[in-house]
Amino acid sequence: MSDAVTGLAPIAGKSQNALPRDGARLRSGALVLLVQIVLLAALLTVWEWQTRLSPQSAFLFGSPSAIGRFLWQGLADGTLLRDAGVTALETGLGFLIGNLVGTLAGLSLWYSTFVSRVVQPFIVAIGSIPIIALAPIIIIWFGTGLASKVAMSTLSVVVVALVTSYKGALGVDPDQINLLRTLGARKPQIFAKLVVPSSLADIFAGLKLTVGFALIGAIVGEFMSSSVGLGHAIFQAGSLYAIPKVFAALVGTIALALVLTFLVGRAERMLMPWRDHL
Amino acid sequence: MSQGPLHPSPHPAPPLAVEHLAKAYRTGGRLLPVVGDLTFALARGEIVAIVGPSGCGKTTLLNAVCGLTPADSGRILWNGAPLDRRGRPPSGIGYMLQKDLLLPWRTALDNVKLGTELRGMPRGQADERARALLDQLGLHGFAGAYPATLSGGMRQRVALARTLINDPDVLLFDEPFAALDFQTKLLIEADTVRLVRDGAKSALLITHDIEEAVSIADRVLVLSGRPTAVKASYTIDLDCAPDDMIGARESAGFGDYVRQIWADLDIPRSTLGCAGRGISRAAARS
Repeated sequence: MSDAVTGLAPIAGKSQNALPRDGARLRSGALVLLVQIVLLAALLTVWEWQTRLSPQSAFLFGSPSAIGRFLWQGLADGTLLRDAGVTALETGLGFLIGNLVGTLAGLSLWYSTFVSRVVQPFIVAIGSIPIIALAPIIIIWFGTGLASKVAMSTLSVVVVALVTSYKGALGVDPDQINLLRTLGARKPQIFAKLVVPSSLADIFAGLKLTVGFALIGAIVGEFMSSSVGLGHAIFQAGSLYAIPKVFAALVGTIALALVLTFLVGRAERMLMPWRDHL
Repeated sequence: MSQGPLHPSPHPAPPLAVEHLAKAYRTGGRLLPVVGDLTFALARGEIVAIVGPSGCGKTTLLNAVCGLTPADSGRILWNGAPLDRRGRPPSGIGYMLQKDLLLPWRTALDNVKLGTELRGMPRGQADERARALLDQLGLHGFAGAYPATLSGGMRQRVALARTLINDPDVLLFDEPFAALDFQTKLLIEADTVRLVRDGAKSALLITHDIEEAVSIADRVLVLSGRPTAVKASYTIDLDCAPDDMIGARESAGFGDYVRQIWADLDIPRSTLGCAGRGISRAAARS
């Protein structure tokens, strides 16, 4: 087999090339971060400067320093953390339930072309309903507590998860299905060994997308009726014209979204280790 | 029904026989006959190559043979037995395409082991066999590599190992080497022939590379254009070791076979841009 070694030659060059490119990527990443920080600092400076010039704009737009004070106060007395914790719980539960149900339903539609054709118009119909229009009914059904927010969040997520995972399942290479069949695979084996793993990329794209939808669902639910949560804080501060307080709660919302997105990214790296090599 | 190699009966059924196979596709309301009337048999231990003009239904033939596409008429006999009614692929075949079809989320070793998992082979035994095959194909040390990190030639070697893991009696190849560079191709061809011969397996190779067909096969079938039928059959007899791909090309008869088969394919000269220098159509041994 010594002659086979010649056939293996290309791989050596491939791994050697990788190092300098990684270095370049790291450097340009640092530059991107620097520009982002400068932009943010510039925005905050202009904002602060403008609101100090006129009390009217300070009232309408709030000032970064006032927002910072409210953030600090909210963290110190625990109200912001409590609001964020409740919203995080609602969002997390809605995200998990919605994605679990949606993904399972979407993947299992692969099993039967007949069923998927039957349910397609219903999915489109449900998917086209603005979730906020359901809020009054949801509150009647689930009450004004945690359950109604989780339901809103779940509903915002479930159809997106279903559609993205079904799209992933349909994208499986038919040649690969044929290959498994010639190796003796039955349909459940094709599903488990081929359809599910090859849909993972689409499923994770759906997960990243639905972080935002889950958060919107929870906050809209809190807008309708609630006594705690970031949506409640935003709504209450807004109706009292406490603009900096609104912004402080918004900062909390953004932080929550970033944390969730980060967690999904970590899960993706853990569950799809081969992606690092693509 | 299948005969053990140690006790051959006087007239064993060939591993694969295709009788009067026909298949048409419906396109735009019209029925397009792709495979017309195709009959051939693959003997035990034999490598048969099938060449034909582009679009003559070679892949349709292969898919019909292994039960992936139902035929319109005709019979396909594996060891003398027809496909079951659901047209499930018979066990004991290996199937390899131009695309390596490796699963990107599996390492080379786990890709090779795919067929053993589907059959429920114990993990330890499967591991051992897969590693042995990778070693035989010069991939020692690459068992844990993901396909994306392997070169095209290595990926196709992994695909070959995956095809061989269940120890199939018959191998079906659909242009498996077409996407490889010439050097890699010759090396993998030699390995493939060696593994097929050593394992006393039979192989059906579909290709449009005439030199590949002549250098690998015991017999070359030339197909006509649509609707496809066997136009000519050549028994290849070259003066070299069967897995010597360069020796085959240097053998005395090689060029004659290639020229005759090329003439049989009957590709219009105008499309090739060469003047009508008549190559006399050699009588084919059918």
